[in-house]
Amino acid sequence: MRQALLLAALAFIPGIGEAIYFRDKVSWQSPIPASEMVTQTQARAWRENTIWVDARPDAEFEREHIPGAVLLNEDRWNELLPQFLTVWSPEKRVVVYCSSQSCNASREVARRLRDEAQLKNVFVLQGGWEEWLKSRK
Amino acid sequence: MAQVAKVKFVWRIVDLVVGGIFIYAGAIKALDPIRFASDIDNYKILPWMIAAGLAFYLPWLEILCGLALISRRLYLGGLSILTALTSVFILAAVAAKIRGLDITCGCFGHASKSWNFSGHLALDLAILAALLALYFKVASGNRLRNAV
Amino acid sequence: MRTRIFAFTLSIFLCAIARAELKWEQTSVELHPAPADKEAVGHFKYQNTGSQPVRFKSVHTSCGCTAAQSQKDEVPPGEKGEITATFKIGDRTGTQVKSVTVQTDDPVNATTVLTLKAVIPQQLEINPTFVFWGQGEALKPKSIVVRASKDFPVKQLKVTSSSPDFQTKVEETGNGQFKIDIQPSDTSRNMAATLTIQPEGSSKTFYAMARVTNAAATQ
Repeated sequence: MRQALLLAALAFIPGIGEAIYFRDKVSWQSPIPASEMVTQTQARAWRENTIWVDARPDAEFEREHIPGAVLLNEDRWNELLPQFLTVWSPEKRVVVYCSSQSCNASREVARRLRDEAQLKNVFVLQGGWEEWLKSRK
Repeated sequence: MAQVAKVKFVWRIVDLVVGGIFIYAGAIKALDPIRFASDIDNYKILPWMIAAGLAFYLPWLEILCGLALISRRLYLGGLSILTALTSVFILAAVAAKIRGLDITCGCFGHASKSWNFSGHLALDLAILAALLALYFKVASGNRLRNAV
Repeated sequence: MRTRIFAFTLSIFLCAIARAELKWEQTSVELHPAPADKEAVGHFKYQNTGSQPVRFKSVHTSCGCTAAQSQKDEVPPGEKGEITATFKIGDRTGTQVKSVTVQTDDPVNATTVLTLKAVIPQQLEINPTFVFWGQGEALKPKSIVVRASKDFPVKQLKVTSSSPDFQTKVEETGNGQFKIDIQPSDTSRNMAATLTIQPEGSSKTFYAMARVTNAAATQ
């Protein structure tokens, strides 16, 4: 028992060391890396330098969306990307959202903007559309 | 006497093989803890924060316990922990399978991505059997020593 | 007294064995749609192996791009059926994993997660899909590398620009790889173009974008 406790305690040392080493790559709140996520407060602080991107299906965007948001979903990526790129410029910060934290669409759209279009400063909105609605009340 | 030496040698090989497996498995996961965290999260048993914490901690625990088996230092402690870890993992994997979750095992990192569920289960049960055999060997050895 | 105990025990036993049980043929399906396909459809077959009917409470998908339907609301004992999951491919690429969560009144397995994995064939890999110049940036061409998949070899690539302000030049660099050099006519004003990339003999079209932005930039 004492031996097991000693081993269990010793394993904390390299474990904590590694957690510190990877601190920028992991978010303790959700599976999305910390450097990719942004809160509403942070995004609003960027003011006119923020481009809001709605990754939800067309019908949800039509019903309601963040004011000024650009629709860019994977259903019509080829058609919508040129329109998004027309409003984008290098000093802007792109904040992608979809319905709630568990929805994968915003992460996928953000990933494609980073990997395929090689844009910098692309983030995913923490809490998604639901969090935006809550903050409005 | 030669027979006793042979038996001891065989048990030593089992120590080295089982210890080696856990050092290898631990090292692969320690190299990519983010991916391991996401593999643990896929079982949908634990909240993300705990899954992430375990992803940083468990690989090192496996490595240390594997080394304990090989070096015979803190041997019983290492053996107990590895037996407990393997049993819990087998239960979690079976539970996930019953719940219909399609998960990558995560036990050997993405080196084992293409294995099927039965293959994984068979290997884990074999490792558990080896660990239990080592455990009972130590326990019966202790009983003999206490009796003498 | 004994009879009562026996009857009570028997009824508990019967309740335990008289249960619903939905058995799935497979809970994970991998699909390989053709390049021209708009949808990928997965069939998840099941059978009620219990002695009680099973009722579907809900069938819920992980995203709006996947629709799932159950053939029936209630499955009598011994009956078979299937849940059909239709994944709308759209402009998605790579391996897509979507899940369908099925809730039933089966006390053993109330929730089952069905996984639909669609491996979308990628005829061409375009990297990057967007090139840009800042205003006043040096008038130098920028390159886009196009890699053809081994499953869909490409001999020639036709590239057209939607705007005469951007000139393109295509060069084959070997091993199914092409380099497209793009250059704007000048970088003093905002301009944009969509590049249409068409492999020879293919009806599928691919796109890349080029722009001169209104800010100084480095790419």
